[in-house]
Parts: sequence; C-alpha cells; structure tokens
Amino acid sequence: MRDLPPADSGSPDHRSATRYLTWLARRTWASVGAAVIFAVLWMVCQAVVPAVVGRAIDAGLTHHDGGDLLLWSLVLLGIGAVQALAGVLRHRRAVYNWLSAAFRTIQASVRKSGKLGVALPRRLDAGEVVAIGTADISHIGNAIDITARGTGSVIAVLTVTVLLLFTSVPLGLVVIFGIPLLTAVVSLLIRPLHRRQQEYREQQGQLTGRATDLVGGLRVLRGVGGEPVMAERYRAGSQSLRAAGLRVARVEALLDGAQVLVPGIFLVLVTWLGARFALEGRITVGQLVSFYGYAAFLVSPLRQLTETIDKLTRGHVSGRRVVDMLRVESDLPDPPRPVPVPRTGDLVDPVSGLVVRAGRVTAVAAAQPADAVAIADRLGRYSRAGDGTLLSGVPLKELELAAVRERIVVVDNDSRLFSGPLREDLDPDGTGRAPAALAAASADDVVAELPGGLDSEVAERGRSFSGGQQQRLRLARALVADPEILVLVEPTSAVDAHTEARIADRLGPARRGRTTVVCSTSPLVLDRADHVVYVEDGVAVAEGTHRELLDSSRAYARTVLRE
Amino acid sequence: MSNALPVADSHQVRRYARDLFRRHPRQLAVAVGLHAAAAIAGLAGPRLLGDLVQSIEHGSGFGAVDRIALLIAVFIVAQAVLVRFAYIRSARLGERILAELREEFVDRVLRIPLSTVERAGSGDLLTRTSRDVDALSRCVRFAVPETLISLLTVALAVVALILVSPLLALPLLIAVPLIVFSARWYLRRAAAGYLRQNAAYSQVTDGLAETVEGARTVDALRRQRQRLRRTDADLSRSWQAERYTLWLRTVWSPTVEFGYILPVVGTLLIGGWFYYQGWVDLGQVTSAVLYTQLLIDPLDRFLGWLDELQVGAASLARLLGVSFETPPATEEVPRGTEIVAKDVRFSYVEGREVLHGISLTIAPGERLAIVGPSGAGKSTLGRLLAGVHAPGAGSLTVGGVPLADLPLDRLRTEVALVSQEHHVFMGTLRDNIAMVRPGSSAADVREALAAVHALKWADALPAGIDTLVGAGGVPLSAAQAQQVALARLVLADPHTLVLDEATALLDPRAARDLEQSLAAVLRGRTVVAIAHRLFSAHDADRVAVVEGGRITELGSHDELVAAGGSYAALWDSWHGTPQVQAEPA
Repeated sequence: MRDLPPADSGSPDHRSATRYLTWLARRTWASVGAAVIFAVLWMVCQAVVPAVVGRAIDAGLTHHDGGDLLLWSLVLLGIGAVQALAGVLRHRRAVYNWLSAAFRTIQASVRKSGKLGVALPRRLDAGEVVAIGTADISHIGNAIDITARGTGSVIAVLTVTVLLLFTSVPLGLVVIFGIPLLTAVVSLLIRPLHRRQQEYREQQGQLTGRATDLVGGLRVLRGVGGEPVMAERYRAGSQSLRAAGLRVARVEALLDGAQVLVPGIFLVLVTWLGARFALEGRITVGQLVSFYGYAAFLVSPLRQLTETIDKLTRGHVSGRRVVDMLRVESDLPDPPRPVPVPRTGDLVDPVSGLVVRAGRVTAVAAAQPADAVAIADRLGRYSRAGDGTLLSGVPLKELELAAVRERIVVVDNDSRLFSGPLREDLDPDGTGRAPAALAAASADDVVAELPGGLDSEVAERGRSFSGGQQQRLRLARALVADPEILVLVEPTSAVDAHTEARIADRLGPARRGRTTVVCSTSPLVLDRADHVVYVEDGVAVAEGTHRELLDSSRAYARTVLRE
Repeated sequence: MSNALPVADSHQVRRYARDLFRRHPRQLAVAVGLHAAAAIAGLAGPRLLGDLVQSIEHGSGFGAVDRIALLIAVFIVAQAVLVRFAYIRSARLGERILAELREEFVDRVLRIPLSTVERAGSGDLLTRTSRDVDALSRCVRFAVPETLISLLTVALAVVALILVSPLLALPLLIAVPLIVFSARWYLRRAAAGYLRQNAAYSQVTDGLAETVEGARTVDALRRQRQRLRRTDADLSRSWQAERYTLWLRTVWSPTVEFGYILPVVGTLLIGGWFYYQGWVDLGQVTSAVLYTQLLIDPLDRFLGWLDELQVGAASLARLLGVSFETPPATEEVPRGTEIVAKDVRFSYVEGREVLHGISLTIAPGERLAIVGPSGAGKSTLGRLLAGVHAPGAGSLTVGGVPLADLPLDRLRTEVALVSQEHHVFMGTLRDNIAMVRPGSSAADVREALAAVHALKWADALPAGIDTLVGAGGVPLSAAQAQQVALARLVLADPHTLVLDEATALLDPRAARDLEQSLAAVLRGRTVVAIAHRLFSAHDADRVAVVEGGRITELGSHDELVAAGGSYAALWDSWHGTPQVQAEPA
C-alpha cells in the first residue's frame, strides 16, 4: 500500500457529485479494483460453505464414506482459510480506499478555503465547510468502500441462485423472487430509522453544545452562581435526548425483529419445501442442509445490498455538498490583464480621503471604531469596497490579488492564532525575525514564560493565552511577516498601559523604512505616530501630529482623551 | 501552570460501572431475561432441522415434516417478537443509565472549586464534556448491550449444543486457545491504538476547521501553502495511526476467522466418526454442525465490541476524574464588610512566590484601583481578594472571617470577581440574568438591566427579555455581553466587587460608558478595579501600584501624580502632555 496522503491530490472533477465520486475512485483505481476482487472472493467463499457442508453430510455421513468425509471437511477448512485471507485483504483495501477518498476531499477543502480567503465567509457558510471534514468525508469514504462489498454481495447472491437452480428449479425460483421482496420489506424500515437517528444526533449535538456552553462559562458560573439553574436545564435536555433515544430504539427494535422474522419465514419456507422434496427423494438430506445454510447465509449479502444503496445515496448527497463548495469562486476576481505592480508609493483610500504616506507610521483615530475597521478592509482590498483603493495611483482591482496580499497586510483582533508550535505560526518561513518582532511587540515575556519557548504548542485559537497576550503575539506575527505596508487595527486594546507605552515606542523603529497604518484611539499610540488622521462619520476631517490635533481639534481631543 | 484534571483509576471505574447496573436490578433482570428467551427461541432452528433430517431418514411422512416446519415457524415468530421487546427494554435501561451518567458528570463539573476553574483552563474539560461523553454514549448504547447479548447468545448456544450431545460439543475446544490468545494479543494493543487514531482524526478535522474559520488570516498572511503542509502532516499522522490499527486487525481478524471455521470442520469430522461408531445419530451431527456455525456471528460481535468497551472505560475514567470534595466551610458570620489583608503571600507553585507580603485595608464603599505592568501579580491579588484562592501566608478577612473559608453561597453575597471573560449562556436573556438569584421576577431582571443601561436594547430584541441569546440564539455584541455580566452582579448584590480588567477587550468608548453606568449603580459598594486603562484609576478613591508582587505606591490619584513616581510618569505619557489636566485645552 502506498503511503497516504497522496502527494499530488490532483484537481477534482467538480462537474457533478457522481463525477466527483468517480474521480475519487479513479484516482485509486488499482486499489478499488483489488477491493472488488477480494470482496467477490470473500463472499463467494461464504456462499459455497453450505454446499460443502451438504456434500460432506451426503457423501461422508449418509453414504458412510470416511474418505469423502475427510475430503469435504478439508475442502471446508481450505475455503475457511481462503475466506479469512480474502476477508482481511479486502478489509485492508477498503480502509485504504476509504482514507484516500476522505483525505483527498480534505485536501481539496483546505485548498479551496485558502483560495477563497477573505471571501469565504461571504460566499460560504463556514460551518458547512467544517461539516465536510466531520461528516461528509465519512459518507464519501463509505460510498467508495461499499462498491466493493456491494459487488461481492451481488455476485454471491448470483452464485447461490445458480447453485440452487442446479439442485432444484422450484426452490431456486423461490429464492430469486423472495430476495428482492425481502430487501424491499426490510428497507422500508430503514428510512424512518435514519430519520430518527438523525433527530437523535441533532439533539445529542445540542446537548453537547449545552454542556460545552456550561463549561465555557464555568468561570462565570462558579463566580456569581447559577449552578442549580444550569444543572436543571442540562437535565431537561438530557431527558429529552433520552426520550429521543427511545424513539430510535423503537424503530431499531422493529427492524431487529423484522430482520429475524422476514428471513426466518423465508428460511422456513425453503426448509419446508426442501424437506418435502427430500421426502419425495427429489433432493438429498445433504442438499436440504445446504438449502437451510443458503437461506441463512443470504441474510448477510441482503443486508449489504440494502447498505450499498443507502451508502451510495448518502455518499452522493455528501459529494454534492463538496462539489458545491468546490465550485464557489471568490468575489474578488483577478483582472483579466493585471497591471504590473507599481513601485512603492502612497496608499490612498478615496472613500474616506485617507492618504497613507510611504515609509511612515500613520495613525487613524476614528470617532466611531467601525469606521476604522472599514478603512482597514478597503486599504487591503478585503472586500469589493476596496476595488478603488490606489497604490501609487493604480487601483487595487487592476493588480493581481496575490500581489496586493504580498504587499499589504491587514491585522485585526479577529486574526486567528493557529494551533501547533508557536514558532511555526510566528515564522513559518524560518526568517529568524521572530525574536526581534517579539521584542518589538513586547511579547518576549509571553514566550519566556512558556515551558518550551518558541517550540511550545499553541492551543486552538491561542486559547491558552490571555487576551492581551494573544494580541501581542498577533502583532509580533505581523512584524515577522514584514510586509511593505502593514495595517494594524487596535493592536493594543487589550494590553495594560505600561505595555502599550512600550509597544508604541518600539513599533516605529521596528517598521523603519516601511509603511505602517495603526488604527487606534489611545493617546499613547497616537503620540508616537509620525502622522495622525482623525476620522469622523467615515471621512478624514483633520490631520497632523497628535499634539497638533489635541490643540486644534476639540472633537479629536474628546475622542482620544474621553473627557 | 499546567493543571491537567485528574483521571480515575481502573478500580474506581469498575466500581462505578458495577454500581450503575445495580441501581436498576429489576429492569436489568427483565432485559436480560428477554434477551435470553429470544436467544433460546433462535436456537430451536438447528435442533428442529436435525429432527427434520432424522424424520426424513426414517421416512416419517409429510405430516411429521409439516409439523416440524410449523414448529420452526412458531419459534421464529416468537424470536422476532422477543427480540423486539428485549431490544426496547434494554434500550430503555441503557438510555436511563446514560442520562444518569452524563447528568452526574455535569453535576460534578458544577462543583469544581473556583481555584481549579480559574487555573485549569477549559480545554481539557471541554474535551471531556464533548468527546468523552460522546464516546461513552456509543459505548453504553451499543458496545455494552451488544457484548452482553452476544455473550449470552454464545453461552446459550453452547448449552444447546451440549443438550444435543455433550460429545459433539468437544470439537469447540479446538478453537479456544487460538481465539483466546489472539484476542489477548489484540486487546492489549487495541485501545491505545484506537485512542491514538481518534486523536489523530480529530486533529485533522480541527485543522480543517481552523483553516476554514481562519480563512481571512490565511489569506492576509498568505499562509495557504503552510496550511496545506499542515493538513498533509495531520493526514500523514492519521494514516500512521490507521495503519497501526489496520496491522493489528490484519493479524487478528484472519486468525479468529480461521478459529471460527475450525470447530465446524472438527464437528463434521469427529461427529462423522461418532456417527460411524453409532454414538450419535445423523440429526445430532446436523444440529451440532449448525450450532457451531451459529456461534460464529455472536462470537464475532462479542470480540468485535471489546475494544469499544476499552475505549468507553478510558472515557469513563476521565469523566470520573472530575470529582472534587467540597472542603468544610466555616460557620462564622462576617461582622461588617471591611476587607483586611495582612502580609499576604501567595505562590501557585511551591517555591515560586507571586505575592510577597501585601497589606491592605479596604474600607466599605471605597473604590480602589490596582495598576501595574503585566505579570506583576495584579490578577493574583484580585483573585485572593475575591476569595478564589486562600493566601499561602498572612491573612485575608472580611468582617474578621477568612474570606476563602466562607461557604460559596455566602461568599457570593460578600465579594464577586468580574473578569475579562464574559459569557452569554444559551437560553433567554432573562434566564441569563435571573440564574444568579433563582426566583427573581421579570421586574427584578428588568431593573437590573436598566441599572446597567441595557434595558433599551433588551426591549428591542425580538421577544424582549425572553429572547433566546447565546450560541444558536440572537448574537449579542461584546459590549452587550458585558452588560449582561454586570446586570447579573446587580442582581447578585455582593457588597464588594473585584473587577479584573473587566473592560479590557471592549472598544474603549464602550468601556467608558460601561464603567460610568457601573459606577452609578454600585455607589455605596466597595469596588476593587484592576485596570490598565488609566481613566478608571483616575476615578478611584485610591490607587495601588503593584510591581513585582508588592504594592509600591498607594494613595489618591492626585497624591500619586504629585509624588512623581512610576504612576505619575505613566499618567503623563497617557495624557499626552503634562499640562493638560481634567479639561482639554
């Protein structure tokens, strides 16, 4: 077996769900083919066991032939060995095929998410993309996997039918007509079962959500109280889940009963007819035992056939979700003929009238914090509103988006810290700039406190750090990236005044020769900026140094000193 | 400060599991009885087929054959009906036990001491609450009944076989060593392998979630390639883990499957020889062969679920690990509301003291601001003042009674800690506030909301204060969530509040509004504000500067500014120019 994940995941066929599934199967066609062959062998071995047992009884016992008994017993042993071997080889292939389909789908999802980038939340429901990883990949894997067992089952049923027809035409006919009927009856119950199972899973998810909600707020809860109320509420949810579980169980119980009853009646019918034929001398006793064996055996391929239909259907639905995701395109298209990237120059936001001079630290103090966020988004062309932002006089929409991202980086407080070793998140390309950046962001103490320093693991979303620590790490990460133009949104809102003062002092030197925009209303930060622009109602209304503005603009002073 | 929660040992797990089943002896007996009856009905088939063979051998005629066939049919119908009832009964018991299990777990979570909650972080507990509870559900709903039922079926089938002919049961023994040894080999490795596999798998899905939810950051910092690399590394780890368990199964499953077929062959051969000797008849051999075949399915299911049982036991151990004894509280009642700290020292880790002798008297109604650099011990001091931790040395009392010894209910009426974290619980806005004082009326809740200037937006919600908020409900902004937290405090009504950078993550203007409304509401209450925004220090009666675990400056704002220490330097810097005072120029 080749190692997974595949180094080259290829470009998926996203024309339709069926094509996507076929594409997945084709990528590992040799393994899928092997799985089919082993599955057929495995099922056929199982199918012929009753025939061999029957022969052993007929030849060995009723005819008192010890040699025949030994022969057929050894044949049975041989078939058992082959079945065991084929079974495990099939299983190995099945696992491989399942994983390779699932892995390819995950790779495709990650690639697509990266491509959509800032546009993703606008174009897709993030929860649905995540659900591809948690739910859809199993359905897709199952669909690829079941093809082998499904084929095996069909062949096994055919083998048994042929064997039966050779022994007794009427009995063979009973089986041929009985099986589709049985499958239909049992599958009638599958649908309501799935509905209730779905309902149960949803409620279970809600209850887990309630419990994690409670754990997430445990600090609050243990601090100010409310435990009895929360416990009571959880209990109510738990009891309603229990009721849902019983609803599932009622259908499952019926299904279990039906799975005894329906094939059982079939078994009785075959055995009864067989016994009468045996009495009439039309078949032997051994053949009767074989018939009983066949009827009992057929239950398994029957279940697998029902399973095949079900899994292919679900795989198709999941495939469609993946295909829908793969088809989505960003709302920030590249121009058909991109303009060559201009030399360093001023960055201008025509909407607000903000001019950012190259090579300096410009602070944006907005009376309404939302205005600063909107400006930052436009400066980096994070939405269509930034199409007209000018870099050295060239509208951003005429540049390749990748080139814009390379030159302009916007960091806000929603920027996500990624889990894994801290070093990898701060400095993925190994530039070695991390220590200096950490010092500039006044985050060296955060790293110093970590047991493994830069090699320590960061928890999901950086949860193991306090709000202020996260903010300083985000800033350090942006400084390591060292883009030509860096736009920071409220980079110090969660740190204490001492630290804020330190960061404000170090930011300018750290960004020397580069262009920096800081959206902030903190006097400590504004005082250190080369240039301050005051924004009111989305428009730049005053500019100058912090002290000039304090003197000249009453509104500015009110905003930043909060008097 | 790694503070992993404890895990129960296997002895505790076994005792708990046993007690769980003993709680409902009658239900258990009924469920087991029904399953046994169903299994017995299912075992009639091969026996009757043997009779059928026997009567064909003797040419007993159609009547006898018809009678036996009818009897088989009767048993099948009986088995089907019994299976249905048995399933419902055992599901009812299983769901009940499962509900008790998870509810007891949540009860235990709600009893975790404040000091542990504050220090342990929520990651580990979250995993236990979601993954371990889910794993245990799977175990209780499927693995436990399946193993019990299949074990029962196996046992009864063996009994049936012995009833047919004790001699013909002997070939079963051929398979025992093979199955037992291979099962032990497998099970010794399986649980760890599957746990690793599950962990690797959730790392894959977590990694995907991170890329998707952080798509903006990925794009901004051009981390696409890195995310793909990370994904491939996660997938590769998952593949390694899968390959290990696959290897285990590659060894074990053909071995046991071969073990299943051995007794069938053995029964045929040995049964045939017995038959030649005239010790058994043809019908007995037929039944015996069919019984050994019938054993395969339940035996396979039994062995197949054993590893799930192990995984479930591991989860149960983690759930039971969350168990804390509540220490006995003092009976003393505080006389007055003055908080006095005398030479308080504290360390989280032995030998690494964080606070080095803090002495402080906080008068009722005073507003004290604590400022200082990160890591100076401000938050630790705040937690001690709120009774979360007990001082390592020195004393910290309210009205003369040690704060940390008070029963929790009483403590909450004395002091409350308000931290940066705010949390809106799933539920109505009203419940979110009334929870701190069960039995509060709608009017009480509205009053509390009005006190924090939140009634206006609360009334504007789709269903007013009965609107569902929190995860899955109407989302509240950070400022609104903070107001909810403050409204809770108004209702809880402690005489002292410790605000630990409670406003840090808000946009500065909203923080100002909040603090003003809070100040209005809490007039007459004692307030200790750990602040990094200096305007709140400016508003306080006294300011304490904490540096290096000590109080280095203490006095009113004006006194400290006049003294020209580190506070004064900071204030000047913050305020832009030393000249500008309360009024802007």
